[in-house]
Amino acid sequence: MSARAWGWVRHLLDGGTTAWGEWHAEADAVGRVVPGAQQLELLRRLNQSARPVPEGLARRVLEASAPGRGRPDLELEGAAHDSRFGARPVDPSLLPTEELLRVATHLLAEDLVALGPVDRRPDALPRPWRRRYRLVGDPLLADPVRRDLVARGRPPRPGGEVVVVGADLGRMLADAWTALCFDHGVGSWAAWQATWHQRDQIPPRVDLPRVLTTWQERRGADHVHLLVEGTPGWQRLPRLVGVRRLEVPPRPGEEAAELARRVAAVLGLMVDAPRRSVLLRDGLLPRLPAEAFVAAAPGAADRVRLPAVSAEHADWVARRARRMSRRLTAAGYPVDLAPGPGGGAAGGVGGADDGREAARDDAADGVLSLAVRMLLGGWKERA
Amino acid sequence: MTGVAGADGRPATETVPRGATATGRRRVLVHVGTPKTGTSHLQDVLFRNADVLREHGISYPAERFDAHFLAALDLMKLTWGGLELEAVGAWDRLAEQVRAWPGTSIVSHEILATASRMQVDRALTSLAGEDGADAEVHLVLSVRDLVRQIPAEWQENVKHRSTLTYAKFLEQVRDPGRDSRIGSWFWGVQELPDIMNRWGATLPPERIHLVTVPAPGAPRDELWSRFSRAFGLDGIDLDLTPERANPSLGAAETALVRRINRQVVRTVEPGDYRPLVRELLAHQTLSRRAGSPRLALPPELHTWARDLSATWVEEIERRGYDVVGDLADLLGPEQPLPWADPDEPDEALVARAAVDAISALLVEGSRLRAVEADLAAQLHDTRAALERSYLRPTYRLREKLVRVMEGTRAGRGALMVYRRARGRSSLSA
Repeated sequence: MSARAWGWVRHLLDGGTTAWGEWHAEADAVGRVVPGAQQLELLRRLNQSARPVPEGLARRVLEASAPGRGRPDLELEGAAHDSRFGARPVDPSLLPTEELLRVATHLLAEDLVALGPVDRRPDALPRPWRRRYRLVGDPLLADPVRRDLVARGRPPRPGGEVVVVGADLGRMLADAWTALCFDHGVGSWAAWQATWHQRDQIPPRVDLPRVLTTWQERRGADHVHLLVEGTPGWQRLPRLVGVRRLEVPPRPGEEAAELARRVAAVLGLMVDAPRRSVLLRDGLLPRLPAEAFVAAAPGAADRVRLPAVSAEHADWVARRARRMSRRLTAAGYPVDLAPGPGGGAAGGVGGADDGREAARDDAADGVLSLAVRMLLGGWKERA
Repeated sequence: MTGVAGADGRPATETVPRGATATGRRRVLVHVGTPKTGTSHLQDVLFRNADVLREHGISYPAERFDAHFLAALDLMKLTWGGLELEAVGAWDRLAEQVRAWPGTSIVSHEILATASRMQVDRALTSLAGEDGADAEVHLVLSVRDLVRQIPAEWQENVKHRSTLTYAKFLEQVRDPGRDSRIGSWFWGVQELPDIMNRWGATLPPERIHLVTVPAPGAPRDELWSRFSRAFGLDGIDLDLTPERANPSLGAAETALVRRINRQVVRTVEPGDYRPLVRELLAHQTLSRRAGSPRLALPPELHTWARDLSATWVEEIERRGYDVVGDLADLLGPEQPLPWADPDEPDEALVARAAVDAISALLVEGSRLRAVEADLAAQLHDTRAALERSYLRPTYRLREKLVRVMEGTRAGRGALMVYRRARGRSSLSA
């Protein structure tokens, strides 16, 4: 029976795409251990996407571990070493996408460690006449803009205007989660929402009343400005930080964030924590294909989705947004942070209960598809 | 029933390091589980007696108690509540130490039981070279009957933040598909013939050693005596004082911890959960309570568990492994143990356990308050010392000068030049 398995291994190494259920030819062993069904099926999917898959990559796929506490490497149905014991052998084509993703993210993490961060042009020298400012708030808005300003020789410095940037609360929560996916790793979007809901707290960076109070105490209320994305006041941002034009880079979509989250978990087994953050932020993020980001133009048609607040947390988010808006209005910042009817600036309220399972499968398929593209040389820019 | 020392059929001699084989080849003993079979005590004894063991040619290469756990996480790419961050490169470091030792080396961790065939291949190659040519590898597996292992595994899950009821756990364990995380992990570390298939595929049966955990009522040191025989430690004067163990909880206490998990699992980070709930509450407080019924298998599953164990025993006998102890121990007691359902516990017992838990937390809270007060006093003293240095006339003069200069553009520029020249990177707020 294992001769049939080795025959299939050889077929896949040669770029074949025949499913295990239709495979009958036998061959001599090409290794000591028949790879797991997850690894073999992932190689078949890679072969389906691009031929030929580089031999080195094919070998790596077959030797990869499926990290984390999922199912063990499974044996092939009809070719098990001893089918009386162990996990039930499987038809690899019926494996859940989740199982293939575990292997794929391990390989991507290895690639990322080997590639390292993308080389960037050195930052311009700080201009002595630059405007004094601080930029804080929503991490997907404040951090990339600040980095852009630093690169242009306009790093923040104290003693000027403090600009707090935000969006509607649903979007800010999603942004805070996405930022963590590209930093040190975090639980799933669903678990993360549930955690903050249970705590009945808002993550500190996007708890705007708290952020504003802190900076008002340090700098005085007159120098602290709140700008909410999508409102007319947002146009003041370039002037407040002392430039004429400013572009907020597009947000990575839900699938890109989920892929980063999974890669982050595996990277934790390969590099130390500071290096992991650098690799995710300066290695993975800039190398994601453009299709993984949501179009910057508001309202632009885009198939890429942002994480959206789940139905079970929507009421809580709306309630907290109303409370936050009331506090901000009382403090002299009249804004409405309630999520729109879509549940977020660019997404719908996620997961009605009956469709949740199907939506989760679709999302996993999307993440796997992105991972496969990356494995096959989709890294946008190589260092 | 020989254990490792006599596996090659010859006693150690003066010319051959005690730990090496008669031909001088390195020997590696790989202990891969199973959980809840006294492994924590064994690893503790090996770790604390590492120097003595080395004098006898036996190496237990570990810089810290959990070094082999971290190595196992690294080998199998497992995440473990953030601990995996400390495991980067741990397996390769361990394997290197093993390869460098000319005598016997011991590698031991129970989660290794769940390694896949590919991971086993990598592990054995790194320890003993291609095809095991560089060392004589022995596999050791300590085993206990399913009647006791199943409730013990559920309890272990509860002590690792699980909120699963016992009934749900049993349902997932009995699901033949093993699709759940619980089922897949449980059988991965407990199904003995499968573990042997994965770890022992390339080893002759005489180099596979099963250490059975004695049935209840056996002499207290019987398990250690079996470990000692299996690992070839007989005759070495070891300090066996139990310092580390993984004590068990009663049914009511486990029920209490599960209820606590439901409240805190999302709000208490793993790094805080481990010392506060697992160590302080479970191990140091609730495990010491007496009088609560022990966790057991529901009586209706007793026969199923014994029958399954019987098929394993039959398979082990057929394969001819070396058994240290008695294979009959693997069947478990003939009669079901007294049953107390932890999903519907005696509420009075839970309440009493909760009072003990609150007391322990209050004592710990008081201790932490004292530490906090002590730190606050130290901070106060440090601030006072700083204040005194600030009060010197030269400091006040300099401070005034800086304040004046910061009020003008020219002054600020001059200060910046001065600070750069001094190499000070921080700017005043």
